[in-house]
Amino acid sequence: MNPVSTTRAEASHLSEEVERLRLSLAKAEAAASDAFRDTARLIRLLTAVGTPSPPEGLLARTLTVLSEVYSADVTCLAELVGDRLIVTASCGLPEDDPAGSGGWVIGPTARQALNRGQPLARSVSDSDEVPPSLRGIGVRFAAWIPVTLDPGAGGELLILFRRRPEPFKQGDLRILSSVGYRMTSAFEAAERAAAIDRLAKTGHELARHLDMPRLLEEAVSLLRTLTGGDRAWIVTLSNGMAHLGVYAGLPDESMPSWPRRIDALPAWGAARHGEPYRWQTTGPLGALPQTGLCAPVMAEGEAIALLCASGTRPRLLGKATTEVVTVLANHLAVAMRNGDLYRALARSERKLRQRATHDPLTGLANRVLARQSIEDALARQPRMGAVGLLFCDLDNFKSINDRLGHEVGDELIQKVARRLRECVRPDDVLARFGGDEFVLVVDGARSLGDIMEMGRRIQAALVQPFHLRGDRVQMTASIGGVLGMPGQATPSELLRDADAAMYAAKGKGPGRVEVFDAAASHRSLSRLDLLSDMPRALQNGELSLEFQPIHALASGRAVGLEALLRWNHPRQGSIPPDVFIPLAEETEAIVPIGEWVLEQACRQAVRWRRLPGREDLAIWVNVSPVQLAHPDLVKTALDTIAGAGLQPGDVWLEVTEHSSLTEECSEPFARLRDAGVHVALDDFGMSYSSLSYLRRFPVECLKIDRSFVSGLAESETDRGIVRAILAIAASLELDVIAEGIETDVHRDVLLELGCLRGQGYLLSRPLPPDAVTELLRATGPAEGGGGRRSPVRRRGAHSRLTPR
Amino acid sequence: MNETMRAGIGTSNLDDASLAGRQAAERALGHISGRRPDLMIVYSSVRYDLPAMLAGIRDVAGDVPLVGATSCGQMHDGDVTPPGEGLAVLALVGGYRFGVSHVSNVSADPQAAGRELAHSARRAAAADDMPYHALLVLSDGLIADNQGLLNGVYRITGFAVPVVGGAAGDDRRLLGTSVFCGDEVLRDAAVAVWIGAPRRISVACAGGWTPEGLPLMVTSVDGPVVREIDGRSGAAVYRENLGPDGPGGLNAAHLGLIEPDGSLLVRAAFIGSDGELHTFTPLPEYSAVRIVRSRPDDLLDVDSDAVASVLNGFEASVVLAFSCVARLDVLGPRGPEEAQRLQKAAGGIPTFGFYTYGEFARTTSVAGYHNATMAVVAL
Repeated sequence: MNPVSTTRAEASHLSEEVERLRLSLAKAEAAASDAFRDTARLIRLLTAVGTPSPPEGLLARTLTVLSEVYSADVTCLAELVGDRLIVTASCGLPEDDPAGSGGWVIGPTARQALNRGQPLARSVSDSDEVPPSLRGIGVRFAAWIPVTLDPGAGGELLILFRRRPEPFKQGDLRILSSVGYRMTSAFEAAERAAAIDRLAKTGHELARHLDMPRLLEEAVSLLRTLTGGDRAWIVTLSNGMAHLGVYAGLPDESMPSWPRRIDALPAWGAARHGEPYRWQTTGPLGALPQTGLCAPVMAEGEAIALLCASGTRPRLLGKATTEVVTVLANHLAVAMRNGDLYRALARSERKLRQRATHDPLTGLANRVLARQSIEDALARQPRMGAVGLLFCDLDNFKSINDRLGHEVGDELIQKVARRLRECVRPDDVLARFGGDEFVLVVDGARSLGDIMEMGRRIQAALVQPFHLRGDRVQMTASIGGVLGMPGQATPSELLRDADAAMYAAKGKGPGRVEVFDAAASHRSLSRLDLLSDMPRALQNGELSLEFQPIHALASGRAVGLEALLRWNHPRQGSIPPDVFIPLAEETEAIVPIGEWVLEQACRQAVRWRRLPGREDLAIWVNVSPVQLAHPDLVKTALDTIAGAGLQPGDVWLEVTEHSSLTEECSEPFARLRDAGVHVALDDFGMSYSSLSYLRRFPVECLKIDRSFVSGLAESETDRGIVRAILAIAASLELDVIAEGIETDVHRDVLLELGCLRGQGYLLSRPLPPDAVTELLRATGPAEGGGGRRSPVRRRGAHSRLTPR
Repeated sequence: MNETMRAGIGTSNLDDASLAGRQAAERALGHISGRRPDLMIVYSSVRYDLPAMLAGIRDVAGDVPLVGATSCGQMHDGDVTPPGEGLAVLALVGGYRFGVSHVSNVSADPQAAGRELAHSARRAAAADDMPYHALLVLSDGLIADNQGLLNGVYRITGFAVPVVGGAAGDDRRLLGTSVFCGDEVLRDAAVAVWIGAPRRISVACAGGWTPEGLPLMVTSVDGPVVREIDGRSGAAVYRENLGPDGPGGLNAAHLGLIEPDGSLLVRAAFIGSDGELHTFTPLPEYSAVRIVRSRPDDLLDVDSDAVASVLNGFEASVVLAFSCVARLDVLGPRGPEEAQRLQKAAGGIPTFGFYTYGEFARTTSVAGYHNATMAVVAL
């Protein structure tokens, strides 16, 4: 063999061998490449599915990887809703693609895949199996992989569309099927975890909504998010009726009207046993079928509400959704229970607060709240204006209360409160400060003129008479007003000054308004000041007596004298008895003062009885119930009378019909009476229980109240009352004295009716002792004797201690 | 809208940024008869005071929609402006409708940024009545996850709207790249142009890389660092597989992700100063890769094919190209040949492009961010 040709042949052979080896190597590399690619593909897919992440992120990532590793132009998840496939997630379809909203009618291969539960692939070439937006752009192959885990949740497919001319292989379908299940399983787990996580984070926050509407709004919002439903609503159940609580989402004409009977609810059969209820409706033609879920909210074994959600997503019927909604229902049950407890607590607290700050009779603010309101108003910026305060005291309320009884008195207070409330501004604070005292706090007042105007409005509001159980009562109020500047005045000062202004008003007569500026407030003395001055008034020599004669009406001659107390305050001047007598009673200063009055009156009487023809002159002294309660009264009084040189029978003690004149007071009266002292009942007829006093007390004389006397001329009623009093007195053999005789007519009518004695301005005003002496001298001896019983009477004439 | 689009290209190498901008803009507008452009695209070296450069352009062109990026050199009508030298301006008018948008702070959430970017651009274009659409994207080239940005874009475009573009360069400095929008120079940002087109727009991507050796499995990735391949040090495996060309040929050897169809998605790779194997775009963990190499002729051959596929017989007004700077490195002294080949394939149609740190060319599936390729689109 030619070595050269041998060499060539070998070279050729080697060359072929090299080429063969090269081809083998290329094949081996290609095979290795394929193997690596398949492995890498699977690992990437499993990694995408297995990496923990939020549900949407997991789907997006897995669909993206599927698109990459299978050269799919579009990968998507689609749910079967009715006969349409609706895309729920995709890689490769724009977010606003109609495949995600209306979907497309499911094709035969997709349906077959769902029915069989097997992955299928085929050439599609722009057929109906492709969503409309993908038609006409060269999609050639598609694969449908059923991925439904929950049979109740409808059909769901993983779908891949590919333009590249390479069909999906059987091997691909097996992997896709496995990955698809894992993906939806991981997605549902992630979705459930996210929902539970959200519930764990936010569910308990439901409990912070203590008022029901806000609680339900929060819950329905959560419900809609958790279920992914198009709409969500909460139905509350009570007393056999179901009410639509709140509603979120799309309006739906097919929603039933509310309220409805509970047993008419389709869900009721399940809900009453605490079970969720699911439904599916085909809906009107052309519309997507609706699925729905309803879970009961249970409290102590009873369904108290229903959580409902509906929409086109079959997932609503899935186990995961049901579980999550059940947890939400439990949260809501707790929150609703909390809300109930809170509301009950709040109600109790409101009541307590109301009780602590409001007057139970009128519902107005009480003293505490009034003071707080003044404080608050004074704490505001001065530019908001001044703080006005009006102090109103009803005139003569006490006598009305005594005459008509406490119940009627309370009714009157309520009616007055109503009228006052109507005439004040909404922002003003009206308070009942005491028995018949009202306070009005006017925030943002501009001037004293405003306060005066407000006071007049209050007066005007009281002008119309009050009708109280058949009685017409005319009521006025004495009103004092002041103005305080924030940052300068204090609540105590304002109250004191307003109170002082009110007493100044009262001093001028009933139904008056008085406003104090700063200077007047400074000058004035409040009742508190008077209260502290009262006990010292006696020792300071500020007290004095005047006497009003009691006359025989026929002759006009004085037959007795009633002692009347006066207080001349060093700064305030003359203080009205209406003001200081209650203060003296309140401080019990009335006891020593009463003793002093009796002693002074008796000594004066002794002097007058020395005048010619006046040896029978009787002295009348008023006694307060406070004195009667004092254990030493009887002894002191008898000692005083004796000490002055009088006989007990020369003295008349007068007591006013009064609510505080209790049964206990009858005992000292009886003892005085037994000792010979006469007892008279003042202001007779004003009390609803006047007659009972006659039974309880050893009364010998009735003094007819001035209000009946003043009406004698024109009022047949008043005349009838006087006639009745006289008849009662006659039947009981009691003496009668008419008070408040101011005209000749009064006197003539009284005489005509048979009343023989009286007192009043017509006959004589209250006079100082010297003037009385003059009067007695001028008019000569008493006719018939003041201290002796007249023919029709067993008991004689008298005077009073408490001034009129 | 049957009007044919006109394209005008202008360049400048002047040192003064403002003057260079003015000069390039004037030249570009000269080619479109001074008409007010519907869109201007600007590629520039980072050597310029970029705001001043943009101001120079806008002094000439006015307040027109403008996008752009810093580059590693530009190609224009068959010529190349090498990295670090000048700028190139393209002015487009007529025939198409454009909507410009930009997003910042892309790194924080690339997908959300991409979604917002595409959404805003589409809204700005108001071109729903146009039959065809495409999206041009220019991004900061040093963003770690430009594929994530593209994934976000994809949620709005869907697969039917082609996406093309490039990642900004910085004359190979790897210090900082920028994109332009209007008169703004933006970092960690992306700009986009939604294109409403009267005819179908095709995108092509050319590689020219050949695999060598056996496939490898990427087993551990930490962002742009490939920590492990086949369970071993990524850098070590990479070096072993470089073969006889050794480390000296680093620029010519990259990693190719094995695609489902067996094709390779090239990812530029290099050994960083930390001794680790780096890629510009993070590789998916457990992806199969092969070492890929290229020779200049391989690269140049595929460029022509790509241009031919996007033209496909229609009279385009301009061919836009986005070529990876890695290709320029491989070509070495033959670098200008790529631009010449491109122009030759385009015939009389103007060509305009820049050298990038990455290319957007989504053709099939979502994977559309490339390295070491040339992406082309014809308008």
